[in-house]
Amino acid sequence: MRNLLPLILSFLTILGTWLFLPMGATSGEDMKIKHVLSIYSDDKEAGLKHPEGVASSDGSVLIVADSENGRLLRYALQDEKLESAPTEIQIPELLYPIKVHLNSQGDIFALDGKKRRIICMTADGAFKGYINPTGNISAATVVPRSFALDANDHVYIVDILNERVIVLKPSGECTRQLAFPKTYGFISDIAVSPKGDIMLVDSTHARLFAAKPGSDQFAPLTESLKEYVRFPTCLALDAKGRIYVIDRNGGSLILIGPDGSFLGRQSGMGWKEGFLNHPSQICINKKDQIFIADTSNNRIQMFTVSL
Amino acid sequence: MRTETVAIRHTMYIVIWGLCALLFAAPAPAKESMKLKPGTTGKACLECHAAFKEKVKKAYVHTTFKNGDCSSCHDPHTSNYKNLLVLSPAKLCLSCHKEVLPDKSRSLHGIVTEGKCNQCHDSHGSDIKFQLLNKGNELCFGCHKEIKEQAQTNKFNHSPMAKEKGCLNCHTPHASAAQKSLLKEGAPGLCLKCHNVTKGQFKSKHMNYPVGESNCISCHNPHGSNTRGLLFDNPHSPVNKKTCGECHESATASNPLAIKKQSKELCGKCHEKMMKETFDKNRLHWPVADAQGCLHCHAPHASKEKKLLKAGPLDVCGKCHGDTVELQKWTKMDPANKKLCEPVKKGNCVVCHSPHASDYPLLLVKPSVNADLCGRCHEWQTHSTHPIGEKVIDSRNKNLTLDCLSCHNACGTQNHPAMLHFQTTYDLCIQCHTDRKR
Repeated sequence: MRNLLPLILSFLTILGTWLFLPMGATSGEDMKIKHVLSIYSDDKEAGLKHPEGVASSDGSVLIVADSENGRLLRYALQDEKLESAPTEIQIPELLYPIKVHLNSQGDIFALDGKKRRIICMTADGAFKGYINPTGNISAATVVPRSFALDANDHVYIVDILNERVIVLKPSGECTRQLAFPKTYGFISDIAVSPKGDIMLVDSTHARLFAAKPGSDQFAPLTESLKEYVRFPTCLALDAKGRIYVIDRNGGSLILIGPDGSFLGRQSGMGWKEGFLNHPSQICINKKDQIFIADTSNNRIQMFTVSL
Repeated sequence: MRTETVAIRHTMYIVIWGLCALLFAAPAPAKESMKLKPGTTGKACLECHAAFKEKVKKAYVHTTFKNGDCSSCHDPHTSNYKNLLVLSPAKLCLSCHKEVLPDKSRSLHGIVTEGKCNQCHDSHGSDIKFQLLNKGNELCFGCHKEIKEQAQTNKFNHSPMAKEKGCLNCHTPHASAAQKSLLKEGAPGLCLKCHNVTKGQFKSKHMNYPVGESNCISCHNPHGSNTRGLLFDNPHSPVNKKTCGECHESATASNPLAIKKQSKELCGKCHEKMMKETFDKNRLHWPVADAQGCLHCHAPHASKEKKLLKAGPLDVCGKCHGDTVELQKWTKMDPANKKLCEPVKKGNCVVCHSPHASDYPLLLVKPSVNADLCGRCHEWQTHSTHPIGEKVIDSRNKNLTLDCLSCHNACGTQNHPAMLHFQTTYDLCIQCHTDRKR
């Protein structure tokens, strides 16, 4: 009996701890991001100004949307180093790039925040055309707040004017339309998982929504994340379907599991390397390297993640 | 022997669980017999608290007090609460008067939730029904001074406010289960109890639009107004001119209340210049371009706020940017911030930020934080300040120069002095002056 009593008390203590501790308090320690490098300027020492976008797909190329300077910069990447001087891409069709993605062919897609149009460029920055939805689409006028590409080069557009996500084939033909969730605040960004799940981030309600492949509606993936995040504005997924959410006002990075569970919070508001100040776009390439457009710090930061 | 062991084990389980239950159970206030001498209930208290003898003579007296059961509310010996109350004020009254707070209320009277029942009621007795401290609207106006002021200065008053029940014609005093603002019923249901939508005059006043199911308070101020028809004091021009057809389909159309175009296109018909300026800027406040567009912030018909804002800037901005507004509230509450930046103190976000669009970061209204924004009020920085400006590189980040935002968070901080980014001045300064680190 004497042996049994401590056992019971230990069990009760563990039970109590499990019951009364918030989830985040126990699960946030597993995720670690490590700062690798920062990009502050081009090869002519012209500093980045409020860069809002960043893209890297296979780990050999990095595209930076140097928003305030109205240009893109294309860097060659080798492992965790920048290979050479960047190529500057400045074309009249793109005035204020705020979001960038690369497709499987290496073409560059950029959202112009001023014109509110998505343009497509060749890998070396030649203008190919605007993304104009065609085919069976209920309202032709689109106001794209954000967009994403999947492995098949389908384009997913967050159309805030018509409260929907439209999915386009590489040719621009609309194949799918999904209405925004019934109760949402403001949808800021979209991402597509390797399995084809579409994720949305609602900035004002601090919630994530997801739609399964083939589904025509979004369901909440998380409850409000306000406990962990101030104003989430951007998200990206890694190969395992884990979701990385940018907290713009909180200057940090939140990791959410594929099931919507909170896994951790990293970085924080600051100026030194490794910290973030009003971060915008995040991207994760096939080598699991994380790039963040650290907008108010006028730089791009590269991290690696260990879990 | 085995049976005895099992019995002992069972007893131990019960004891352990019992102890756990005792550990987690909330301490309940035990009201034990006070063992007073026969015939002294209540009288014993009034022997010293003589002032309360007058209260017993009032027209409406709290039953327990009337019955001399002072110990229902007060502990005669000791208490953790003021006036020797047996429970905190927030819990005491509600322990008997549970009915005043429905389980799920959409709106609650703040003072009820704070347990400040005595702001309206005398807990012992009064000459006014429900032991109220004052009669009719005067009781409400004791706190809601702006409504009183409005009622006194309005050219046109809403008649129920002057009737016997006054505010209580429309509002409940404690909580409303289904309505906001403690309303007994929402609009239009509440309004239609008095206003007959089938009357010719009602129809003609509303240009024959079927507004019987519309939200009356999107145009009318139920507390009175200086504009005929109790319209809010800042009506939208087409409402004032009664040219509803500028935005809505005609009154005879199959769906007369439908608007002719989507938000920004509709508003842009008249506000063309503003729209052009907005959409020509580099950075757009994105909600301007979404489905709800202008109506995120502006009321389409009438408002008590200027520029048809739905509410003051803090409330309008705070609807989405609650995280930032929260900081502003904390900053205001912090006694260390006595000399708080005036726009932050007032919650006037638009002094620094452009609500529609801007060419500058963070939707700021001016390009330079130092000179153009903060410098407008803090002019001393032009002659005596830490080096800041375009030529002063931030030692924490080679691609930044120092400006006011390098050290201060202009929207507010949770509990930092002078809206600094860090808890103490030392913590802030050693960010750059690392040689001074202790």
